[in-house]
Amino acid sequence: MRRLRVGVLIVLVLLMLLVPQLGGDYYVHVFALVFTNVILAASLRPSLTCGQLNIGHSAFMSVGAYASALLAKNLAVSFEVSMLCGALLAAVVGLVIGYPSLRLRGVYFAMVTVAFVEVIRLIAQLWVPLTRGMSGLSGIPKPNLLGVTLVTKASQYYLALFLMLLTLLILWKLESSRLGLIWKSIGMADNLAQSLGVNIANHKLLAFLLGCFFAGVAGAFYAHFIRFLFPPEFGFLMATNILVYNYVGGRGHFAGPIVGAAFLSLLSEPFRGSAYETIFFSIAMLLTILFLPGGLITLPGKLAELRGWKSASAHSPSPAA
Amino acid sequence: MTPDLLIQSTIIGLSIGSIYILMALGLTLMFGMMHIINFAHGAIYMLGAFAIYYIFSQWGAPYFAAFVLAMLLLGTFGYLVERSIYRAVKGGIEPTLVALLALTTFLQAAGYPVFGQLDKHVPPVFHGTRNVLGVMISVERLMIIPMAGALVVGLNLFINKTKMGAAMRAIEQDKEAAALQGVNVHVVNGLAFAIGFALAAASGALMAPIFKLDPMMGEQPLLKAFIIIILGGLGSIPGAILGGLMLGLIDSIVATALGAEPAFLLSFVFIILLLLFKPTGLFGYAPP
Repeated sequence: MRRLRVGVLIVLVLLMLLVPQLGGDYYVHVFALVFTNVILAASLRPSLTCGQLNIGHSAFMSVGAYASALLAKNLAVSFEVSMLCGALLAAVVGLVIGYPSLRLRGVYFAMVTVAFVEVIRLIAQLWVPLTRGMSGLSGIPKPNLLGVTLVTKASQYYLALFLMLLTLLILWKLESSRLGLIWKSIGMADNLAQSLGVNIANHKLLAFLLGCFFAGVAGAFYAHFIRFLFPPEFGFLMATNILVYNYVGGRGHFAGPIVGAAFLSLLSEPFRGSAYETIFFSIAMLLTILFLPGGLITLPGKLAELRGWKSASAHSPSPAA
Repeated sequence: MTPDLLIQSTIIGLSIGSIYILMALGLTLMFGMMHIINFAHGAIYMLGAFAIYYIFSQWGAPYFAAFVLAMLLLGTFGYLVERSIYRAVKGGIEPTLVALLALTTFLQAAGYPVFGQLDKHVPPVFHGTRNVLGVMISVERLMIIPMAGALVVGLNLFINKTKMGAAMRAIEQDKEAAALQGVNVHVVNGLAFAIGFALAAASGALMAPIFKLDPMMGEQPLLKAFIIIILGGLGSIPGAILGGLMLGLIDSIVATALGAEPAFLLSFVFIILLLLFKPTGLFGYAPP
């Protein structure tokens, strides 16, 4: 089983490597955005595992995006530096607003995170000399990696793929370590975890800051890929979508947000940017909550169960025989 | 800021504050009983305003009839949401929150194709201005205060004087014990959803003649209501009333002096500071 999974993973990565060769610029563009969404969705997972319903994740993407774009545009900093600075700044902002709010539990925290998004959006909108406000920030340079400017869409695609795989690897290693167990224990019963000597406040903060950092990474890539930033883009809607990826994909396994983000962003591609995208997302979310609470990753298991149950009832001797 | 301007923005602050109170009361009532936050509250506010647009200004019904009809329609919708979502997830807090979030984005996004892309306007219901303490205030804004006040008083009477209200308070204290005493928890929770939705609809209906209407119009009032109930303490009705008045005044006076966005940032900074020193709000109790 394990070998099968590794095999499937290798095939998937190979396929992703071949996308620019097989498809045109359109697919390259679409998949690069899917990878960004995967980073965002996966980076929210540690916080969700701790039981913190964060509905403000897009705020930190916005911080990373603006910071990296402004550094590269105004100071001609190379991508690896501007991305790291953007991600670190996102984490610092996360620390400033997260530290007081993480003292709150459950719905209290969820409500404050909704306000995060508005605050960050307003700052981006009002700080006109720096961010150009509602006219949008344009003219962001293409990513310049280690002195080489990534001119083609295909090379930027590989950058996105690399960033996604690296992020997933780091988050996976963390989740399968002792730290992941601690996060899970906090999510299941924080009082119990605390009584067993877990410093829940610090661990919640760490999970939250990790999420902010990687949201900043996703934002930085997005800024240099789309090359135009507009404050309302990182609003409440995007924050909800990141949460929706996690729920529709499934909360129970690391693969959940990845499956959710890939599935929803690919399926909604025909109506990207229109109101129907959101309608589609919200219906998918409601159906998942009502009919498949474990998310898409539990679907194969459920189907197998159903088939097993059917074949078992077909083979069982009927009482008449 | 001249004294006249101060009086004027105080009165306008009171009228905005009474809308905030209506929004926050529904949220805090639902939180007290079920420990959920109705993220769809802003979307229901928006629907309340659009109900006025269609029933009053398009189909020509009298304003008060349209107002009551909007509350009844959206109250029924609230009851149905309790039946179809809250009951289906067996009262799980997190799934309910996420489902309500999805309902919000659905209603907002569906608003564009259904109501059209252009902003809508509702003609004024009350005409003219009135001299209050030496400053002129539009009657439209003044009338919000008694109408919202009547709803607040009515809600308090309902909760404190009727049997249904007693059942609500019982559930707030202890759901299992209330059920053992013969309270039908499902029906009373459904009623709380209905009341919360109806109050949000009433806020939207009161604001419809003053602001322009678009599907996203509920976001700002929702955030304000969040700030109010955190400020006043979740689940506390006096907290929601006091918090609503405070935020209404901050909004109006600071917004007149500095602009609307700085007023919002200021209220957020205030909340962060409050959370640092008194995480339960002014009248709240510790989170469950």
